[in-house]
Amino acid sequence: MIIAAVLEKRRHQWAELESMCDQLEMRGRIKKAGPESITRFATLYRSACADLALADSYQLPPATVSYLHRLVARAHNNLYRSNQLDPSSWIETVFVIAPRQIFIDPCVRIATVLFFGLFALSMILAYNESTFPNFAASVMGTQQIEQLETMYAEPLQGSLDHYVQMAGFYIMHNTGIGLQCFAFGILIIPCLFKLSFNAVVLGAAFGYMARPDSSGGDNFMHFVTAHGPFELTAIALAGGAGLRIGVGLFSTGGLSRIDSLFQAARQAVPIMAASATLFFLAALTEGFISPSPLPYTIKAAWAILSAGLISFYFVVLGFPHDFVASQDRSGSAEHYDPLGDDLPGSEASGAT
Amino acid sequence: MPSAHPLDTTIAVVTPENIAFEYQLAGPFRRLPAYLIDLAVRFGLIVLAGLFLLLVGITTQFSIPPSFLAASMMIGYFLISWFYGTLMETYFNGRTVGKWACGLRVICVDGRPIDGTRAVIRNLLRIADLFPYAALSQLDADIPPVFLIPTGIVGLVCTICTRRMQRLGDLAAGTMVVIDERAWRLPIAKVEDPRAAALASFIPGDYRVSRSMARTLATYVERRAYMTPGRRREVARGLTEPLLQKFEFRPDIDPDLLMIALYHWTFIADPRDPPPDLGPLAGHSPLAKDFGKAGTNTSTALPDTAVRPSEPDEESLVVAEIVDDAQPNAASPGATP
Repeated sequence: MIIAAVLEKRRHQWAELESMCDQLEMRGRIKKAGPESITRFATLYRSACADLALADSYQLPPATVSYLHRLVARAHNNLYRSNQLDPSSWIETVFVIAPRQIFIDPCVRIATVLFFGLFALSMILAYNESTFPNFAASVMGTQQIEQLETMYAEPLQGSLDHYVQMAGFYIMHNTGIGLQCFAFGILIIPCLFKLSFNAVVLGAAFGYMARPDSSGGDNFMHFVTAHGPFELTAIALAGGAGLRIGVGLFSTGGLSRIDSLFQAARQAVPIMAASATLFFLAALTEGFISPSPLPYTIKAAWAILSAGLISFYFVVLGFPHDFVASQDRSGSAEHYDPLGDDLPGSEASGAT
Repeated sequence: MPSAHPLDTTIAVVTPENIAFEYQLAGPFRRLPAYLIDLAVRFGLIVLAGLFLLLVGITTQFSIPPSFLAASMMIGYFLISWFYGTLMETYFNGRTVGKWACGLRVICVDGRPIDGTRAVIRNLLRIADLFPYAALSQLDADIPPVFLIPTGIVGLVCTICTRRMQRLGDLAAGTMVVIDERAWRLPIAKVEDPRAAALASFIPGDYRVSRSMARTLATYVERRAYMTPGRRREVARGLTEPLLQKFEFRPDIDPDLLMIALYHWTFIADPRDPPPDLGPLAGHSPLAKDFGKAGTNTSTALPDTAVRPSEPDEESLVVAEIVDDAQPNAASPGATP
């Protein structure tokens, strides 16, 4: 095979494919966009693939082979472009996949128990004035506590300006904390630390402000009631999603470690999406309802409503719908199993 | 064969079309500049967004309440700082501005382009890869504890230890970063030396170049431009010595020339072509049986002047051509006939 002749024959097509790749990368489409040019691109790509496959038997020089590798890789990348984020799939992710995943995922349970357990414990300790008088101060620092008290010294009142600004701030700040919890989950310990830290500090603040003698306690409760259910659940969920990834590293379930990590991350993303949605709702509540001078009953009603919505989301949407069906299926599988087991055995006996 | 892949940073990918092609992986120190550029771009975007909102506020004479602007600024900051990489990689086919500038691209480990979910995972997990954070406040109590410098040791160690040079985020998302060069050309080594064709016509017709030999020849001819003539001979000699015996050539033939001739014979020459016009070289023979028969001008071969400076006046024609090849030290005084 005369290489120079082959190269001379082929290089025009390669150059054409290259220029099409250039156009696709610069403009996102081929200049003379149309069905012909797209088929032409596919044809050129296939012939370049064939050239690469035959490169070894042609004994092409190594530099030409590496050129072909890059050309084919580049064309491949342009032929199969990235699947972009599809907003219509988000609805399915958040309302169908996420609740089921949350319902069955033990990591979410662990994170929830850890977060709410520490939160309750810290709240009790901080509330208990006689046994642990210094708990809240040692957790949060006296300066912080004074700041908290002066912040809620005045009864709640606000303007639309204030609400909007606060909502923006909470979206940025609290969702950021949630995303950090999630990301650190792959290292497990930083995630547990962040979750516990937030639980203890929040619990201490709640407990301290709930003391009968603390100044501004009423206003504080007025403020936190409405968005509490959304926000606390969201943090716990973010931690659970993060832990899911981290646990995937060592609880592999028979997969290779990398595959297990990959699968765990795929499972964690819907949980994180649900958590981010809750953070967003919490931020809106915290921005618009919580600081408003609405009567406490309305805020409490909102809190109960939101808690109910979350429960509905987790339990009703999350309950495995194919539970009954899978029971049926496993029964029938049992019925057929002996047959399946018999087959290899009979083969083996036939062989002997 | 269990492990035939070379000890290299390339990774082979088999596409659904059953085509295997290779990507060159990008190591941590190739990715660091891209990350720094992205950091700068992200910062620049946030500043630009702030200026834009300020401009909007000024042009509308603050009829939009400033609080709305502040809120959108904060949401914008949140979105840019957390989702810049995700959005860029999803809508820019696996590249961010930094990756584009450094010639990198993210793809799935199976060679397909990255999709949205993978981009989300690998970009959110970046802060875990930047772990642990060095707290400057531990060095000096006066520094406020907000300054946390990411050291990135987790990501670095993970990148070094994995076959595909993936950081934790890449492992979880099933992606890898490859080098995506934009400027490249088709390399074809040309043989311009007329003596090569002449010498090639003396290679026995029944000689078959093995596959590894062909690869070696091509590599040698592509690289020889970067070597000095002396070095070329030194490198080529190891390969040509057995060939000289096999072809029954004179032992003093320039090894470099023989390599080029063999390259010409393997890749360029067509056996159906008429024999090359030898021009002034007609009548010269490299064969060992003709060695010394016709005195001085009998050979197309180049004496190894570096090794045998005692015979500079032999084969003067060839030495003169070497002068054209810009090798001044070969032009010994007695070279010109």
